[in-house]
Amino acid sequence: MKHLLNIPTKWGMGLLAILAVLPGLAAEETVKSPLLERDVLPILQKNCMGCHGGLKQKRELDLRTLPAMLKGGKGGPAVVAGKPEESALWQSIAEDEMPKGKPPLSKKDKDVLKDWISAGLPTLAHLLKKYEKPLLPAGEKHEPGVVADAVDGHVSGQMANRGLKAAAVAGDAEFLRRLYLDLNGRVPTPEQAAAFLDSSEPDKRAKLIDELLAAPEFGVHFGRTWREWICPPELPSDMNSGRQPVQQSRDLGKWLARQFNENATWDKLVRDILTVKGEIKNQPQLIFYGLVGQNAQATPSGSTRAIGSLFMGVQLQCAQCHDDPFRDWAQNEFWGLAGFFNSMTGNFSKVQSREVPGEMSIPKSAFFNAGTRVPVGFLHGTKPDAKRKTDWRGVFVDWLTRRENPFFARAFANRLWFQLFTRGIVHPVNDMRALNPPTHPGLLNLLTNEFAASGFDVKHLLRCICNSQTYQRTSRGTVARQQELFGRAPMRVMTADMLLESLKIAYGDPKLDLRTHAKDDGNTNGESAAVGDEYMEFHRRFGTNEEDATDFTHGIPQMLTFINHPRLRQGGRFLEDWLKKNPDIKPETMIERLYLGTLSRRPGTEELAEAVAYTAACEEPKQAYTDVLWMLVNRSEYLFVR
Amino acid sequence: MNTHELFQRRDFLKLSAAGLLSGVSVPWFESMANAAGQVQRPRGKKCILLWMDGGPSQAHTFDPKPGGEFKSLPTTVPGIHVTEKFPKLAQCMKDMAFLRSMTTEINDHYDAKYYLHTGFRRVTNLEHPSIGSIASAFVGLPNDDMPAFVTIDAGNDKGNGGRFYRSVPAYLGPRHAPLAVQHPARGLENLKPDTRGLDRRLQLLGKGEERFAREYNLPVVNAKQAAFQRAVNLMHSPRARAFNLDNEPAAIREQYGEHRFGKSCLLARRLIESGVSFVEIFHRGWDDHEGAGMRIAARAPWMDGAMSTLILDLKQRGMLDDVLIVWMGEFGRTPGDGNGHFCRAWTSMMAGGGINTGQAVGATNENGKNPGDTITRRPITAPDFMATLCTILGIDPHQELMASGGRPMPLVDKKAKVVTELIA
Repeated sequence: MKHLLNIPTKWGMGLLAILAVLPGLAAEETVKSPLLERDVLPILQKNCMGCHGGLKQKRELDLRTLPAMLKGGKGGPAVVAGKPEESALWQSIAEDEMPKGKPPLSKKDKDVLKDWISAGLPTLAHLLKKYEKPLLPAGEKHEPGVVADAVDGHVSGQMANRGLKAAAVAGDAEFLRRLYLDLNGRVPTPEQAAAFLDSSEPDKRAKLIDELLAAPEFGVHFGRTWREWICPPELPSDMNSGRQPVQQSRDLGKWLARQFNENATWDKLVRDILTVKGEIKNQPQLIFYGLVGQNAQATPSGSTRAIGSLFMGVQLQCAQCHDDPFRDWAQNEFWGLAGFFNSMTGNFSKVQSREVPGEMSIPKSAFFNAGTRVPVGFLHGTKPDAKRKTDWRGVFVDWLTRRENPFFARAFANRLWFQLFTRGIVHPVNDMRALNPPTHPGLLNLLTNEFAASGFDVKHLLRCICNSQTYQRTSRGTVARQQELFGRAPMRVMTADMLLESLKIAYGDPKLDLRTHAKDDGNTNGESAAVGDEYMEFHRRFGTNEEDATDFTHGIPQMLTFINHPRLRQGGRFLEDWLKKNPDIKPETMIERLYLGTLSRRPGTEELAEAVAYTAACEEPKQAYTDVLWMLVNRSEYLFVR
Repeated sequence: MNTHELFQRRDFLKLSAAGLLSGVSVPWFESMANAAGQVQRPRGKKCILLWMDGGPSQAHTFDPKPGGEFKSLPTTVPGIHVTEKFPKLAQCMKDMAFLRSMTTEINDHYDAKYYLHTGFRRVTNLEHPSIGSIASAFVGLPNDDMPAFVTIDAGNDKGNGGRFYRSVPAYLGPRHAPLAVQHPARGLENLKPDTRGLDRRLQLLGKGEERFAREYNLPVVNAKQAAFQRAVNLMHSPRARAFNLDNEPAAIREQYGEHRFGKSCLLARRLIESGVSFVEIFHRGWDDHEGAGMRIAARAPWMDGAMSTLILDLKQRGMLDDVLIVWMGEFGRTPGDGNGHFCRAWTSMMAGGGINTGQAVGATNENGKNPGDTITRRPITAPDFMATLCTILGIDPHQELMASGGRPMPLVDKKAKVVTELIA
């Protein structure tokens, strides 16, 4: 279930008929006239760009960008502001001369295009311009509190512009649980929860942020998260004698964990992955190229697509086979980038440099231009010095990790925001382009600048965001726009990793195993096996929608596991231990501990009364508390990051 | 496709009353139990896919050749023969159709499994939904008590056959992932409740849930509570008994066979009967590199018995026209001894489903240097096969869906042609 990397290679069919949907723009609802990105492009993409876009430019007309439309083709300018009659676009659709060989446009679509031209070609990008100006001076690092204030100012301003108010700041319990899950990938232990809730220090939230960023579990959580973005636990490659490199991929996660914990700067971490060579021993990151390649081999196109998506925030897959119909990058640019990764060969165990000229021949698998030789080149950028190099990857990484690179810092900042808020400031996170503008341009610029100015300091950027009121808002409320504009925290479903680690806390059992099959049902190396180890099985069962954490996707098997799984019906030894150590413990105290270890808060008055009444009616104390624990992990509140 | 399904939020307090076990008679539960006991008609036909993982030999099963290791046996349809190892299925020929001209281009296990389950060649970093998940999305009933897509592990007699393909819903969304039965005799995991205090526990839970739903009236919360309710409904639904083979008369169990494949077929019938739309049974170990003859001679009795019983049983229950049975692997095997992988010309089988049965579509050469190595009539590609399967199940293969990233994807490759000979 990887989604962020959903980038196909070659298609046997249908590319010409692509319709791209505009990802949910936070459109200016106050603007009544049609907007290019919101209203016009979907119509053009569906009906016109197959012939007048990146694939073909019939009659020399390209409708992908506004300047190209203004320039027009053989029939004159496609659009003339305020003058539909003089616009070739309107002329050709008014009487259904176009689209050729397709059903005519509906009256509604025609009206949209006409109104848009009449209104003077308004664009969302132009409307958002006013929000672009830097909120803080670029080029210098600021104190987290200063950045957090700027974040809040910008987000509140955007809300106010739309006549909305941000939600209240969350209470301590809500903040505590969210922060633990976001930074350490699990809920706090009962002791940790009680200590924070009972503290009266005024700056206890900032202190907790520092504490959790310093905990080893921070790296573990971020390492797993990135490992899964690179490649899901269920690995795609099967040509490695039928085995999946499960262990190597987990080792990659551990390597990432170490980097994050040591706060290796993002440019260093990425450089260590992308310029790796030699044997996998002592450098687990080497598996990267094999994982994103095909058939256990590194491929220039696979590397390019993955690096584009993960480290640059762009989707390059369309340009692999032809000029992108909607994004203004050409096939040449894809293969120019791929050329950098043509200077290596690699598989699951080693990566070697090879000496190649600074060019790449477009392979047969592409629809167009197979055999054309393309010199190496950066996306939308200058050409590197084309002298013969043994390993062009270093040249690429030098370009990528420069502070002023337009993709690198921005892609990370946006993805980090997505991780915490379920929506990127540009969304989807790997589709940054002119016609998919950010909802909060100033915010994205702010975070990008701060990240670059700090020397790509991951913990610093997290500290800035987590200290903001925007991060600390409650998830209570139902106005959807409020959440889309980051004025309220989203209610998210815990990822499989968060859930497993949190259940271990609730049951006081670091080895919690929720497999139900018999051990003899299959081997675990992935070959011909129907089942895997407990980690993989748990992931299969409790995997979530990685594109949208607010989408509840669990069904009957997951709920049955919670309701009836024998392990979750046993409280475990920790309950016995508690009872043994404190034979006179009051039910109230026990129930409070159970609440703290699951929901990270104390029970409310009603809740406490109900649970006390429940336990009083049970004969056997251990069974009573086991039942209360069962009830707590079955609560909706348990499964969510609220 | 991952749109929120907005469930009707039910009164959560009612949940606690689901504890029928306490013996309390609650009017609303009676009515719900009745409704739950009824099997609603699905939107299309149902399907049982018998997946022979590893690639079964066509020459040793359903496309016998002169001079083959097994003799050829006439069936109830004149002119159509099977090998001598399948006498019972030979008697069912009027309800079966062979597709003897399957031709695909992939001889690697995993890629071929992917190809035949999805109709698309495997590419890196884009997954296509498998046929079971497609059926779940387009034939299954949303929010039914019973899951739409179940897989049953019928075990293996050898460990090879390449990496196991696991059905994925891909862009159709995780809710169309299969519910996996690991062993037919064990039924559905975690279905049987721990009855100790269940009713009281549910009541205690219900109070908190009700408050939470009031406080957070969000689609994601409603969806969680609805899913929980469905699980509780299933626990108490008479239909859940379908998962338990002990409820089946001994005589019928015996007919299907007291082996894991027979049990799987019986479980499939019970599940289909109780509202499941698509069941995939996989049996692993058909990668017979050391010669298919001896291996298939050993497997044939249970396969012949269980499959023919499945066809007859469905027929007797008047269900055969609404349930398609498909038997296949990811490719065939080299003509002759069946040692190697062979994707150029192989056989699959369909039965029931209201299709034109009693025929063999396509053919391979009977004579020549190597009988069976060339298609002589009507080649059927993997996309053709997928388009045909969708059409039979009542799913439009030509519809376009939205994959993630806003990519339109045709459900089946646009070049695919339906095998119209099969469509009644």
